[in-house]
Amino acid sequence: MGIAISNLSVRYGAETVISGLSLDIPEGCFFTLLGPSGCGKTTLLRTIAGFAPASGGQIRFGGRNVTELPPHKRAIGMVFQDYALFPDKTVAENVAYGLRARGEKGEGAARKVKAALDRVGLGHVLSRHPAALSGGQRQRVALARALVIKPQVLLMDEPLSNLDAKLRVQIRETIIELQREANITTVFVTHDQEEALSMSDLIGVMNRGKVEQLGTPHEIYATPRTGYVADFVGAANRTEVPVRAAASGRVEVDVAGSRLLATDSLNGPAERGLLVLRPEDLKISATVVSGLQSLPAVVRGRQYLGSRTSYSVECAGGLVLNAEMHGAGHDAFQPGASVHLGFDPAAARVIRS
Amino acid sequence: MNASALRSPWPWLSALALGLLGVFVLYPLLYVFTASFLGEGRSGWLQLVGDGHSLAAIGNTLVLACIVTLFSTLIGVPLAYVSARYRFRGKLLITLLPLITLVIPEVVTAQTWLMILGNNGVVTRFLKGYGILLPSFYGWFGLITSMSFIYYTYVYIGTVAAIGKFDAQLEEAAQSLGTAPLRSRLHVMLPVIRPAILASTLLVFTMVVGNFAISTILGHNVPLLSVAIYQAAVAEGATNLTMQSTLASTSVLIVMAVLFLNRRIIAKGRFEIVQGRGAKPQPLRGMHGVLVSASGGIVVAVSLLPLVTIAVGAFTASRGPVLRWGEWTLDNMARVFITAPGPLVNSILYAGVATLISVMFSTLVSYLVVKKSNLVTPFIDYVSAIPLALSGTVLGVGLLASFNDGFLALTGTSTIIVLAYVIRRMPFGMRNGQAILHNIPNSIEEASISLGSPPLRTFLRVVLPMMLPAVASAAILTWTTTVSELSASLLVYSGGRETLPIQIFRLIDSGLMAYASAYGLVLVAVILVPVVIATTMFKVDLFASK
Repeated sequence: MGIAISNLSVRYGAETVISGLSLDIPEGCFFTLLGPSGCGKTTLLRTIAGFAPASGGQIRFGGRNVTELPPHKRAIGMVFQDYALFPDKTVAENVAYGLRARGEKGEGAARKVKAALDRVGLGHVLSRHPAALSGGQRQRVALARALVIKPQVLLMDEPLSNLDAKLRVQIRETIIELQREANITTVFVTHDQEEALSMSDLIGVMNRGKVEQLGTPHEIYATPRTGYVADFVGAANRTEVPVRAAASGRVEVDVAGSRLLATDSLNGPAERGLLVLRPEDLKISATVVSGLQSLPAVVRGRQYLGSRTSYSVECAGGLVLNAEMHGAGHDAFQPGASVHLGFDPAAARVIRS
Repeated sequence: MNASALRSPWPWLSALALGLLGVFVLYPLLYVFTASFLGEGRSGWLQLVGDGHSLAAIGNTLVLACIVTLFSTLIGVPLAYVSARYRFRGKLLITLLPLITLVIPEVVTAQTWLMILGNNGVVTRFLKGYGILLPSFYGWFGLITSMSFIYYTYVYIGTVAAIGKFDAQLEEAAQSLGTAPLRSRLHVMLPVIRPAILASTLLVFTMVVGNFAISTILGHNVPLLSVAIYQAAVAEGATNLTMQSTLASTSVLIVMAVLFLNRRIIAKGRFEIVQGRGAKPQPLRGMHGVLVSASGGIVVAVSLLPLVTIAVGAFTASRGPVLRWGEWTLDNMARVFITAPGPLVNSILYAGVATLISVMFSTLVSYLVVKKSNLVTPFIDYVSAIPLALSGTVLGVGLLASFNDGFLALTGTSTIIVLAYVIRRMPFGMRNGQAILHNIPNSIEEASISLGSPPLRTFLRVVLPMMLPAVASAAILTWTTTVSELSASLLVYSGGRETLPIQIFRLIDSGLMAYASAYGLVLVAVILVPVVIATTMFKVDLFASK
């Protein structure tokens, strides 16, 4: 069942957190709301759940208008950042809770509870209390609890952020598998771009109560439409540049005293634009590499990160860019060295500033 | 608030709670305030200025409060410091026994001091045999001694808690920066725990101002405020509503001023210690150890004297006011249980009902305030804290005056006694309930609702079970304090509705110490038995919320 949000506004007192937001989430889609804290993503999720009342607009689950429904009648499943397991109830009682609220008791309910816990690999801890479980186990119980009631939509509020890095990757996979299996429309809130990119069918990057860009993970990363999205999703060098139109989807830009070609993502004519360069698309070399356009630069600092090295290099006019080198000899350049910074025109995008 | 909000039960319950608080807390208070201006005759405040006795009562009360606060601090802070930071012989006793003094009713304490140092006291008579005449225990000497040895407990508890939360790493940091241990303690620890100490001393101050039992039993020639209020309220032809209201208002204003000061101090001096690691207590040996053990032991022994004295007195034969020490009898106890069991039955009944109501009300209302806040709930929060500023005597006067007749005539019923109990205890119940609820994350409730459980069922199925341990401890504490309540119930009770503390008070007044001891011993048992059962059999942690 898809989620259709039209012209939604949410206010807390005098403060407008979300205004005039419209969004369509197709059925079975894993949809991620990505953004920094305070961007309104959690508020949007809580409004979909019914915990934050909408002050205008409409929310529909499939054909059903749920805007005025209290949360307990919306048939949602929700997973919380702090797990929100009932501490005085056993694992099995926690999972059975939603079934009981629907009048399901006895054998049938017990079988469902067992199956749901087996599915997340916790069929053996039925009678334990949450306090006796690890963080990862708790979140899997919470997942089983939310899914056992076969909700129409699954809502997750930063469910992984209290877990350590390795566990996070594991539970990501569990979530994705369960979501695909149940083919359940899911809204996932996170501030972690890696989570968003690796899990989602669709990502909505949020900023100040608005969805700034909506797209597949690849679209969001490869073709950010705004400087904000470019910067928030992945690292990006951004610099404002004068722009002249050139042939077939390319523009000419003036950067650090050189005239170079870049891909036109301006969506129309403009005199100035924002040049976006991903650090991993910049190649540092001692001599000019043929086939790449290049800028002369000086290495100012470097951070050795094992699998890669992150450099900061200064071009003419004081423009400082970040470049990331992979592969053999990635740490070969010393601070103070004069180098060339090469990049393909396809990797340099100019967007509206 | 939109239409959907009004469909949930919470706004209606909030309105109901505020209505009840308005009638039973706000109305009596306003009644007393207005009566002080508008009562019969001249304005009470003009009368007050010309009344030497009342002015003396106010002055004495303030002086007494200052002195007792000072002594309580001098006893409580050092005791707290050594028991928080050192290990020594008898430490367990010294740290636990002060808590017991909290449950010994003040009326019993006053009585036992009289039995020891009063005109017919054991020690007084013993010394008289050797020609040594003690100063009369009635008056300043008795007031200061007995109050200090009760109220130091509050300073002690407040200070222990503050030192426990103090991060010892701060002290180590100071020492690593080259400060000597004692200096670092003074410079680093004291400023951090000072707000807590100040808060507890101000609490002591307000308790002395509101104290009735000891003031009236030991005060005699020293006019004191709460006694003056009581006298104005029960004086022959007790119609001096103006004067009692004015004095009661004075008491409220003094306490409010102190509470306001307290708030400012706490607001100004609150240093959040995020990850405190308490210091490990160091062993104290040799002379220091003996000294600490001995002086701690003396303090505790003195504060436990009441228990021992009434235990002996309860089984000692007597003729009128004279106790025949060494002659044992069961007559006194027989009187409590067989001849005149009314007070015992009344106490259990009233305190039981009051505990039940109080716990239910404060649980529900703190839930509203913390989790379901709306336009009304901040007012509920404020009004439910008002009884903090009302001494028992003031509350009694207010209830008596407000519900004597008119739209709700409660005078002469058991209801008004239960009401007095509930109101006096409410701020503590509310604070307890709110503390627990702040520890229950909202997501727990939202999880339940998201699983399809409606709000009211969520409260009953999820929130209430989580609150239960703390509610149980609140119930026990409410029981212990309501059973020993004297000052408010003494004003609102009527013939046949005597409670144990009232009965004890009347017996002391008639000088019948043996009977008073028997009732006192039973009272302490009534207080302690539930505490012991709850903590040992049901593993209730009495300080679960703290």
